[in-house]
Amino acid sequence: MKSINLKENQFIQFHQKISFKFDGVKYFGYKGDTIASALLRNNINLVGRSFKYHRPRGIYTCGIEEPNALVQIISEYSEPNTRATIKKIYEGMEIESQNRWPSLENDFGSINNLFSPIFTAGFYYKTFMGPHKKFWKNLYEPLIRRAAGLGKPPKDFKGISNHIHHNVDVTIIGGGLNGLLAAKSFINSNYDVLLIDFEEQLGGIINNSNKISLIDNKEPKDWLKETIQEIEDSKNIKILKNTLVTTYNYINHLIAIEDRFVGSKPIEGKVNSTLHKIRTGHTILCNGHIERFLSFQNNDLPGIMLSSSFEKYMCRYGLAPSKEPVIFSNNSNSNSLVYSLIKAGLKPKAYIDSRSGEEIEPNLFDLIRKNDVPLYTNSQIKGAFGNKKIEKILVEDSSGALNEIKCDCLCLSGGINPDVHLFTQSKGLLDWDEKDLTYKPSKPFQPTITLGSASGQFNFDNLNSDINEKLKTFKVKKLDVKLELNTNTKYNIEKLWEVSPQKKSLWAKSFIDLQNDVTTKDIRQAITEGFDRIEHLKRYTTNSMGTDQGKISSINALGIVSDLLDKRVNEVGTTIYRPPYAPLSFSAIAGRNCYEFYDPERKSPIHSWHLKNGAIFEDVGQWKRPWYFQINKDESMHDAVQRESKNVRENAGILDGSTLGKIEIKGEDALEFMNLIYTNSFTKMKQGSARYALMLGEDGMVKDDGIICKISDQHFIATTTTGGAATVLGCMEEYAQTEWPNLKVYMNSITEQYATFNISGPNTREIMKKAFPNINFSNEEFPFMTFQFHEFNGVPIRILRASFTGELGYEIYIPSNSAPKIWDNIQSLGKEFGLAPYGTEAMHLLRAEKGYIIVGQDTDGSITPIDLGLSWMIGKSKKDFLGKRSLTRSDTIREDRKQLVGIIPSNKVDKLEEGQHIILDKEIKSPVPMLGHITSCYYSSTLGHDFALAVIKNGHSMIGTKAYASTSSMSTTGVDIVKPVFYDEDNKRLVS
Amino acid sequence: MLIINCPYCGPRDQSEFSNGGEAHVKRPDGSKEIGDSEWGEYVFIRANPKGLFYERWVHTHGCRKWFNCVRDTSTDEILVTYKLDEKKPNLNNFKSVVKTPSGEPEVGSGNFTVEK
Ligand SMILES: [Zn+2]
Repeated sequence: MKSINLKENQFIQFHQKISFKFDGVKYFGYKGDTIASALLRNNINLVGRSFKYHRPRGIYTCGIEEPNALVQIISEYSEPNTRATIKKIYEGMEIESQNRWPSLENDFGSINNLFSPIFTAGFYYKTFMGPHKKFWKNLYEPLIRRAAGLGKPPKDFKGISNHIHHNVDVTIIGGGLNGLLAAKSFINSNYDVLLIDFEEQLGGIINNSNKISLIDNKEPKDWLKETIQEIEDSKNIKILKNTLVTTYNYINHLIAIEDRFVGSKPIEGKVNSTLHKIRTGHTILCNGHIERFLSFQNNDLPGIMLSSSFEKYMCRYGLAPSKEPVIFSNNSNSNSLVYSLIKAGLKPKAYIDSRSGEEIEPNLFDLIRKNDVPLYTNSQIKGAFGNKKIEKILVEDSSGALNEIKCDCLCLSGGINPDVHLFTQSKGLLDWDEKDLTYKPSKPFQPTITLGSASGQFNFDNLNSDINEKLKTFKVKKLDVKLELNTNTKYNIEKLWEVSPQKKSLWAKSFIDLQNDVTTKDIRQAITEGFDRIEHLKRYTTNSMGTDQGKISSINALGIVSDLLDKRVNEVGTTIYRPPYAPLSFSAIAGRNCYEFYDPERKSPIHSWHLKNGAIFEDVGQWKRPWYFQINKDESMHDAVQRESKNVRENAGILDGSTLGKIEIKGEDALEFMNLIYTNSFTKMKQGSARYALMLGEDGMVKDDGIICKISDQHFIATTTTGGAATVLGCMEEYAQTEWPNLKVYMNSITEQYATFNISGPNTREIMKKAFPNINFSNEEFPFMTFQFHEFNGVPIRILRASFTGELGYEIYIPSNSAPKIWDNIQSLGKEFGLAPYGTEAMHLLRAEKGYIIVGQDTDGSITPIDLGLSWMIGKSKKDFLGKRSLTRSDTIREDRKQLVGIIPSNKVDKLEEGQHIILDKEIKSPVPMLGHITSCYYSSTLGHDFALAVIKNGHSMIGTKAYASTSSMSTTGVDIVKPVFYDEDNKRLVS
Repeated sequence: MLIINCPYCGPRDQSEFSNGGEAHVKRPDGSKEIGDSEWGEYVFIRANPKGLFYERWVHTHGCRKWFNCVRDTSTDEILVTYKLDEKKPNLNNFKSVVKTPSGEPEVGSGNFTVEK
């Protein structure tokens, strides 16, 4: 195909040359060019290889509907599957063709074309159930992986997108003639209006074709300029250009993507696309129509193009892809291409129409005759032929004779379809138009209005009355626009979906879906095999399942199917058009909610101290918690954890417990409320005392635990697990509002207001005395599970005597701002008593030695307090609390429930692991009845061996017996089932 | 995405709210004897109709208040929201405004593009 540049064009700056690389070779285009127009200018017709058969493919269209010309943009993080027909070039752009190896010209995968008889409809499904499993694994899968596919995924992605929300009365989608006229009606009205167009310039058909000659007696481009100016000047209308509406959701919620770097390279670190989330009262769809192609042998050859696309290249890009294309049509839409060619001083090599001479519009007839264009009426193209590009076509004329025509370009028109994607996404219903042979919007489901060709009005004669009628519910100006056309015709089409091939061969291909390499033969075969429902047929053949969603071909497929089944097209129906209208990148959807903004990071007030003191952190919910502290770079995690835990047992340790959830509960009825929320009874509890408490779900399963401090019957402070804080507060609020609104009670999170230090170990009392000299820490004055309020250097603090390690321990609650100073003070005072910080891992080890559970680790939402051996925590005399009734359900009183036990290896040197199954037999012979599994497991230097907590069937009655733990290497380790407490069983150290 | 009219704050984006399942499910009175089936019904069984549904929502990232609504589960449209202590509206009031794509069956997805 030899292209020529046309004279001056308003959209292309011919004085501004731009260089870019395609497959490593440098070319020039002009400012305003798309990749496709620039390649055509350089006479490059072969731009990619097809998905399945690796057939050579070129540029088929001039817009978003492009099935073939998909390229990889190397200079933009190697973005794959970019439509060459819409992406604008910029200086230094690097582009690569896709799906070819080693090169586009010599592609090894094109051998698939020879094998094509085996890649027929349902190929994927048939191979999955091939003759032998090995067939798939060794032959088909490697073959398909190697051969199939589009671009390569980008290695690295740094694109940034943001989200903008809009709330408007009216959204007009499409800034073509009808969109502009609709917007014009709304100028200076009381409606907030958004006008969205996918292109850089508004105007649509006015820019893309020579169909219209005068608007209100003005040159179309002058009228356009004036109208756009009026719309821009109107304060109530906002215009979004370069913005594609991809999604039309329920309740008039639209999603649109705006390209912020059209025609220039995205700047790293700058927002390169914006996702618009639009809430609108009414949506006016003016998104026009899409031309469809026709099926005949080799209708995929480079050099074949849709006729309106050819015209768009001429009008919009100042480029005729060929000097003398052949035109093949079955309808009147290609008339204007003939007009445009002749206007530009070119002419078609031949005009072939399947319609009879009487049906062809008289003015087209005149134009063709006057310019001596060879005319074939009642004729069809039987096939296109050539090596990597079209070289000749075979035409069967009205007499049945075959004519060979040499050509370098063929323009096709199979008719036009309203672009109904968004309309059907909105759940509007379509109806088949027997005269215009296409689906048209019929019943909107939402407040949706369709105008112009998007509504199926392919003529311009009712332009004013149609818009005025459909906009009459709005208080807007009436339109009276005068339009004159160059090709003054009514839309006329004759049914033609597929031309029967001239000779039948296994290798002859007449495509129905170019991107997915689906042939009309595949459609026939699928129907023969029984896949005659349109949704089944689509999956079986993969027809219209590519990134283009069959925009130029899916209606043709329906036509072929309806003929084969001898059903009306309405009975066949269409497949569902699903969002997005065109591919939407994940980064656009993610917006700024990625990297550091994906989830907030929460840090304790002591965080900077931890950083300076060798803390290795672990994530607990959103919190960063010190996992363990490294005293030097060589210390392993195991060594650090053993050192830290040993120090707590022998001297004293300090843990930053600030992340624990803290909830303050106040109100006249606080006591009654707490009795209803937790299993424990707080009624007889003394003021100033604390209690370990459990919270259940209504199903009786343990949901959270914590320590409840009773300040008075009207005032409590509860702690929760670090991860459960929000859930527990949410649960309290829910029940306070929904079940017991009569109770006067209020609750609030105070987690971030207070830091918490947990100090424990035999030397703790000495350290506390030194740190807080005015407080008496004796057992008599400050017994276990009590708390006191004090003031320390003007800071109000609360000290609770409690322990999660089994040692003598205190928890200090300090307003967050004052916490770092007091932490530093305790560190320096504690040195002489061997005080050292410890992390969450040592804390887990220490609590497990005492058999204290961690909700969510030793429980999993299927464990009751009874299963844990914590029946003593249930306030049995209470009439009600969350989940109480469930503790006597048939399921929760079952004897063989999984219950918490301790596990130690029978041979002390053996190792155990979390997640190991506990079984009864030494030998593993499937099926193996499983008793349960290990939930927590550690090595204890205090005990000198591994130990574990586990939940196993009937566990409480198995204490004292032996069992086995299965290993990942299919062997077993002998274990003893013991009570779930390994250290200081009678709590002497706790109350010392 | 929906716009939900919080009875306390006014219309807000759905992302501020959390769904709380079926509304008007009475928690059995704990001070009385509760049978297994009555309790099981309360804990485990919820309706899941296609069409009008009384539902609970909470304005999690707002006023944190719970409230009730009537939602059409086939279109996701929330027809009315009301406070917990308000009487539940009669569903017959909404029968005329319930819209589903024409020809949609009582049960099923209703994924049609052409009128049946
Ligand atoms: Zn609210």
